[in-house]
Amino acid sequence: MKKKLSGFIPFLSALVLLLAGCQQELASVKTEAAFILPEEAAIDGLKLTHVSQGDFDSDSVKGKWSLFFFGYTHCPDVCPTELYRMAEMMGKIEAAAGLKMESPQVVFISLDPQRDTPELLQKYVGFYHPSFLGVTGEQSTIDRLAKSMGVYYQRVYHLNGKVLDPVSQENVPEGLENSYLVNHSAAIFLINPRGKLQAVLTPPHDPDVMIRDISSIQSAWR
Amino acid sequence: MKSNTSRALGTLLLSLLAFSVAAEELMITNPWVRSAPPNAPALGVFMKLSNHSSDEIAVVEVRTSLEVSHAEMHRTVMTDGVMKMIPQKQIPVAAHSSTELKPGSWHIMLMQPEQVPVMGDSVHLTLVLSDGTEQMVVATVRKGEMKMDSHSHEMKMD
Repeated sequence: MKKKLSGFIPFLSALVLLLAGCQQELASVKTEAAFILPEEAAIDGLKLTHVSQGDFDSDSVKGKWSLFFFGYTHCPDVCPTELYRMAEMMGKIEAAAGLKMESPQVVFISLDPQRDTPELLQKYVGFYHPSFLGVTGEQSTIDRLAKSMGVYYQRVYHLNGKVLDPVSQENVPEGLENSYLVNHSAAIFLINPRGKLQAVLTPPHDPDVMIRDISSIQSAWR
Repeated sequence: MKSNTSRALGTLLLSLLAFSVAAEELMITNPWVRSAPPNAPALGVFMKLSNHSSDEIAVVEVRTSLEVSHAEMHRTVMTDGVMKMIPQKQIPVAAHSSTELKPGSWHIMLMQPEQVPVMGDSVHLTLVLSDGTEQMVVATVRKGEMKMDSHSHEMKMD
């Protein structure tokens, strides 16, 4: 019996270590700015359009890592800042040959399909990095997608320095129909190769921190 | 006639002096326009405004020689993870203090540019101040990459 146990204990230890190794995976990954979801979350409403790729849906995010950012081209400050930061991140990933990480697909999702046509959107987004994709769709689909990912946004009209709130589409003062701003969440969402939401990168977004966090998540993910 | 001429000359000198005093009171450094896509509906303009006087000065209007629909003054504020852009009637600069126009904070927006200027271009701006004086600024278009400043932990621009 004793003999049998002596052989069993190392086996058991190895099994425990192996299991611990598996559990260590994402739960114990130390990130600097990313919030890792305890369990990957399904995304609803990913039925969007890209100007040249056509449908942008759940198949478009499978087998690769993606970063989603919600914004709009009339966004005066936040979106250009975030796009520049992600472009800088991409430049650093491309420049670092020894970096053990998969380059993510960066997707800019318009919260303003009324003004952002697929053509305008891609021209705008592609300026920051040629690989960036700008996608848009029906307002109701975007609403569903945003809701499923916890993205808050609100259309706001201003008149003479005052916020007109709340405003429905029907009672917007004449001449202001296209003047609205969209207040929105500034988080960046990391989608895993199964097409599920895996982590949320909270602002401010430092390109180096994003690289380290994404790389840590990728190496622990399976 | 002679006295009239000298009076006119005196007034001119005085107004020139007044202009230079006002200009010295509000010092503008590092003005720049963030390089944007060719179809960008808005352009961000940033600079540092330093007030060397003992009175508050505010920028109350911005004009530009660039073909735009109009210029606005804005402030970006983050509350509960949501970025809010709030149009401002003025940009105040407290006495012996400075206000920095930078991404994610105070900034000037040039709306609906006819043609988006490219890297290296100069954009001429006129800032109208609360004391009625005007100040000319030439801002250069450059890239808007962010860098973390390890000393202050603030986001800085290249």
